[in-house]
Amino acid sequence: MSHADLAAGKVIRMSLLFRIQHLLLTVLLTVLAVTGFALMYHGNSLAQWLIRLEGGVQNRGIVHRVAAVLLMANLVYHAFYMLFSREGKPELRQLFFTKRDFDDFFQSLRYNLGTAKEYPRFGKYGYKEKFQYWGATGGVLLIAMSGFMLWAEEFSMLFFPKFVLDLALIIHGYQGLLGFVLLYLWHIYNVHLHPSVFPMNPSWITGKVSAEWLRREHPLEYEKLKGEGLL
Amino acid sequence: MIRHYLAAVLAATVLLSAGIAGAVLPGVGECLECHGDTTMEETLPDGRTLSLSVDLQTYRASVHGGGACVTCHVDAKAPHERLKKVSCGRCHGDAEKSYWGSSHGKLHAKGVTDVPACHDCHGKHDIRKSMDPSARTFRLNIVATCLRCHKDQALERKYDLPDREVMAAYEHSVHGMASKKSGLLGSAVCVDCHGNHEILPGDQPRSATHRQNIPTMCGKCHPGILEQYDESVHGKGMRAGIAESPVCTDCHGEHTIAKIGDPSSSVSHRNLPKTCSACHDKEAISTRYALPKKRFSSYMDSFHGIAVEYGMTKAANCASCHGVHDILPASDPASSVNKANLPRTCGKCHPKAGPNFAKGDVHVEVSPKKAMGVFAVRIFYTIFIGALVILFVLHLGLELYGRWNRRKEKSPLGKEGQS
Repeated sequence: MSHADLAAGKVIRMSLLFRIQHLLLTVLLTVLAVTGFALMYHGNSLAQWLIRLEGGVQNRGIVHRVAAVLLMANLVYHAFYMLFSREGKPELRQLFFTKRDFDDFFQSLRYNLGTAKEYPRFGKYGYKEKFQYWGATGGVLLIAMSGFMLWAEEFSMLFFPKFVLDLALIIHGYQGLLGFVLLYLWHIYNVHLHPSVFPMNPSWITGKVSAEWLRREHPLEYEKLKGEGLL
Repeated sequence: MIRHYLAAVLAATVLLSAGIAGAVLPGVGECLECHGDTTMEETLPDGRTLSLSVDLQTYRASVHGGGACVTCHVDAKAPHERLKKVSCGRCHGDAEKSYWGSSHGKLHAKGVTDVPACHDCHGKHDIRKSMDPSARTFRLNIVATCLRCHKDQALERKYDLPDREVMAAYEHSVHGMASKKSGLLGSAVCVDCHGNHEILPGDQPRSATHRQNIPTMCGKCHPGILEQYDESVHGKGMRAGIAESPVCTDCHGEHTIAKIGDPSSSVSHRNLPKTCSACHDKEAISTRYALPKKRFSSYMDSFHGIAVEYGMTKAANCASCHGVHDILPASDPASSVNKANLPRTCGKCHPKAGPNFAKGDVHVEVSPKKAMGVFAVRIFYTIFIGALVILFVLHLGLELYGRWNRRKEKSPLGKEGQS
């Protein structure tokens, strides 16, 4: 963190590499959703317009698969980065669910109902962020596996009977819908519409948040940085 | 006495000879003494004029050119009044007999004058053999001959005939194009399907175009296909008198028949699912013959269906798996969609297809009975996503509720810990 940042009360929350990964994820998931739902809801006139826009069923499939391969590359890179890099390893440790997250969750409910005095004190990642992270990861893995099965349908059917592929198809679609709901209702609310960040938490672009926001929303992280003399 | 007798016989002979000489039949030359005059005409009671001239050359070139006028105009002598109507049936008895049984003949017999008689199709003094390219009944001229009346809107209305569009459609059909554009003699013209002298409307059992007669009629030119059709579930049903069994025209159309590669064809790669589903998406037919339901919508929801809808011609349509004229029920061991044959049928497009292709149902209704796995996954996700949305909204609402409550209590103090 530069001195200028400190002077302006800014704290880095997302490094450049994480922002690139996040941006890729945003773009690729959007492409996959647009091409995927167009096929899933092909009876809908908007979907039909999208399929024509994407150059017909065949080109739609090519776009969908190219985006999927790029997303997988992004995911593999991210996994290696989280497991082995100096920046990633501590991040991953902070992302695991602990018993404390459940306590925090119930405390926040009680706090909002007025039966608890204190709002839970979060570290860098609270239960909301962890739920988002693992939910998305699990969903993407499930979609990816079923997607590859469907892509290489003849190969898959060397090992699995047809009804397994029928299941893969329905899981692929509905899991996509689930991910979409998670992104639009949960993530967009938390990073755009939540009163503490409205209209937007800027960290996905600038990488930085205000020290004041960190103190209110993630007090443990704030105190940790202060203790390390970084604030 | 004998002398007188002889004289009487002689006189009688002379008189008789004179009588015969006076009534002798006129030859062609004698008729043409009057009828060779090109200006010879008669004014009819309604004011129109009728030419009475006969062109010798045309007559001599006709199929009857070697004969004499009196063969047909039996009461002709010179000079003569209005002659009796010519009866072609005196020589062409069979043709006339069939004609009287036809729609044209029946009306004609009632005295209706605007239905065709022999000469309206065959001509009068210019009749030629139907093999002669200049004959009105030559294969390539027949359409024009029939359309002389069947394009007339007044007649269409009067007799409730198919409209001009139906007639025009033939000219753009595969048969019409083959005869009109390519001059193919083998292509079907009107009489090949409707018959010639014995034409009847399709709702009469004796008509060549009656449903029960259509496969046999088309099979005159398409015998190989008829053979396959007769062995198929549709053909067997039709021969057994099941009215819903499709005949050729139900899938291919009638006057509109087009090549399979023509996008407008009812059996084109893209249009075929709609054509089959005209029957197979009908609740009544599925129920009566115990066929699986939702075959059309479940196919159109499959990848094959979507791809065909968007013009991918290599994606499978109904015929790719079920066959065309040789369709058999899946329960028949010879059927291309019998479980035992599925790997081979799928293998036409998916070369690696193995026994796993047959393990599971293809385009069936999603119901606990037919597709339990898919049904369960769908229910699970619907509940799961629904529950998740409700929980999200509750959590979000609770957060806003808490903030609103705290602001009310602490508003004078300004900022609070959590926001």
